[in-house]
Amino acid sequence: MKVLVANRGEIAVRVIRACREMGLGAVAVYSECDRDALHVRLADAAVPIGPGPARESYLRIDAIIDAARRTGATLIHPGYGFLAENEDFAQACVDAGLTFVGPTPQAIALMGSKTAARQAAQAAGVPVVPGTESPFSDSASDDEIVATAGRIGYPLVVKAVSGGGGKGMRTVAAPGDLLAAVRTARSEAGSAFGDSAVYLERRLMRPRHIEIQLLGDHHGTVIPFVERECSIQRRHQKVVEESPSLALDAETRRRMAECAAQVARSVGYTNAGTIEFLLDEDGQFYFLEMNTRLQVEHPVTELVTGIDLVHWQLRIAQGARLDIAPERALTPICHAIECRIYAEDPDAGFLPAPGRVQALTVPGGPGIRDDRGVAAGFEIPMFYDSMISKLIAWGADRPQAIARLSRALDEYRVVGVKTTLPFFRWLVGQPEFAAGQFDTTYLDRLLADRRGIPFVTPTPTDEDDAAIAAAIATWMRSHRAAAAPAGEMRAWRRAARTEGLR
Amino acid sequence: MTFEVEVNGRVRTVSVEAVDGAPGRARFRVRLDGAAHAIESIVTDVGLSLIYLDSGRGLDVAVTERTGGEMAVQLPHVTVDAIVDARRYRRGGSGPATASGDVRVVAPMPGRVVRVLVKAGDRVEARQGLVVVEAMKMENEITAVRAGVIKEVAVSAGQSVESGRLLVVVE
Repeated sequence: MKVLVANRGEIAVRVIRACREMGLGAVAVYSECDRDALHVRLADAAVPIGPGPARESYLRIDAIIDAARRTGATLIHPGYGFLAENEDFAQACVDAGLTFVGPTPQAIALMGSKTAARQAAQAAGVPVVPGTESPFSDSASDDEIVATAGRIGYPLVVKAVSGGGGKGMRTVAAPGDLLAAVRTARSEAGSAFGDSAVYLERRLMRPRHIEIQLLGDHHGTVIPFVERECSIQRRHQKVVEESPSLALDAETRRRMAECAAQVARSVGYTNAGTIEFLLDEDGQFYFLEMNTRLQVEHPVTELVTGIDLVHWQLRIAQGARLDIAPERALTPICHAIECRIYAEDPDAGFLPAPGRVQALTVPGGPGIRDDRGVAAGFEIPMFYDSMISKLIAWGADRPQAIARLSRALDEYRVVGVKTTLPFFRWLVGQPEFAAGQFDTTYLDRLLADRRGIPFVTPTPTDEDDAAIAAAIATWMRSHRAAAAPAGEMRAWRRAARTEGLR
Repeated sequence: MTFEVEVNGRVRTVSVEAVDGAPGRARFRVRLDGAAHAIESIVTDVGLSLIYLDSGRGLDVAVTERTGGEMAVQLPHVTVDAIVDARRYRRGGSGPATASGDVRVVAPMPGRVVRVLVKAGDRVEARQGLVVVEAMKMENEITAVRAGVIKEVAVSAGQSVESGRLLVVVE
């Protein structure tokens, strides 16, 4: 049996690895700029599906279905992003007689609309953040938007109905900024998701972002997992995720898990999904949204429960019964923390820094998992998300996990492109991080306070080292050029001797 | 061989003399502004591994050459820009700031200009947004490094730009 992985980067590699472990064939698809990507090299078969821009390759439903047909794949795993939460894609798989590794097209459509998902949560008796019950129409007048916002109250958040990953999302502190924020959110949502509809939601002041992973089978069983704490965010993008959260006591954990399972059951949810909550300072939690796919941060859950979520996704899709003991999924056996390492320049406002990864030193050793989609020599394309790796550390408790994470961040070297590694090395040393005292506004406030101060500045010793290294590298380059490969040793000795005489 | 290496605006004199070994693994006598060091260097998969033989201190470095003697020296925790023999390469105003004090704001990555937020003659504050460039699905606001007056806007909305392409000149 073969699985086509309709994605790229680290998540495609992750799914291919699961296929291998389960004795399933893995088929990759790739765009023109991904021919030498790791997921293509690791797969049993690979099919080109078009040029670099996602719209012409990874978002082309017809090309992907065709690739499955040509290679004899019968399952399609969408990963996350791209077509993972596209109900038309899930439907196209069903129509082509393929098994979509994910929920039904109906569940994707329902929970993919953030406004419909809110209604479903309310119907299941789960509290939601106050906000608009239906999205604004494209023809909604400025007056109408301003009036609605006035009813909800400021500060508020403008959100794309089909949004995710912080795109098409804007915080508005005062009425004067509202219409500009709505415009930007619409334009970003339109280009990122092909749907420019937006709605408004009250902004809680200092909430934590806590989410519950779920699995549901086709026999009516839904199992919620121990929570993930994802409050460390930059401009609504998760940066660090961990499990369990320091903010939940056993009782709140149980209630939150039960609420999440309730929402999933009420919509007949199957396969992997995540329900996101905001936890207020007073301990109240609110349904935020549901992600109808595997999450980027799923490894922390795998590490703290010892349950392989991708294996289960593939098994559930083939009709298997979920026979995990519910207590096992809810009981963390260790602490795990993930950092999303991007090709971005943290000292230039985290601007994307695509380029060629010339060399790579990847950390290992006790308690380290590195889920990576790039190899040395790979050119990180400008067309997609610039994630290089997810570095995950686990330990018997949180301090041990942090110590291992910090050690692994020190070991990690990426040559050729700027990365967010210096930022993470700095972040893990912050007292609030060590104490677990943060909320979703923490990182943005911390970064604003720094006013662009570099995360690391060279010491006088660093400057000396750099001057010497630059000189030695230049020396070697000039001698390498002078020495023919066969007579390298002799030519080099001659050079050394000549130098010695100087 | 003696090099003039500019690091963080300071010009250092570095002499490198091979003592023993082969290019892949060699010992050097290095003088940095007169101070002598014995250094062993080996070539690794990421660059060079250096050991100061007097103290035993070791470090892994990766040296990436750009143009005109400019290189990025990636030390274990920090990347330092260095220019080797700058005078050989520097011919007139090729740096980011020209003699007149103009700042040339260039695209830091390839992408597409979504919006131009200023026009020639506008007065801007430091860190004020100039141009929005979309790359990797995100909109990135390119800001002014210092206050000034917009002298020239070199791009328009919808245009694709390469990394290093001039966007705006701030006077």
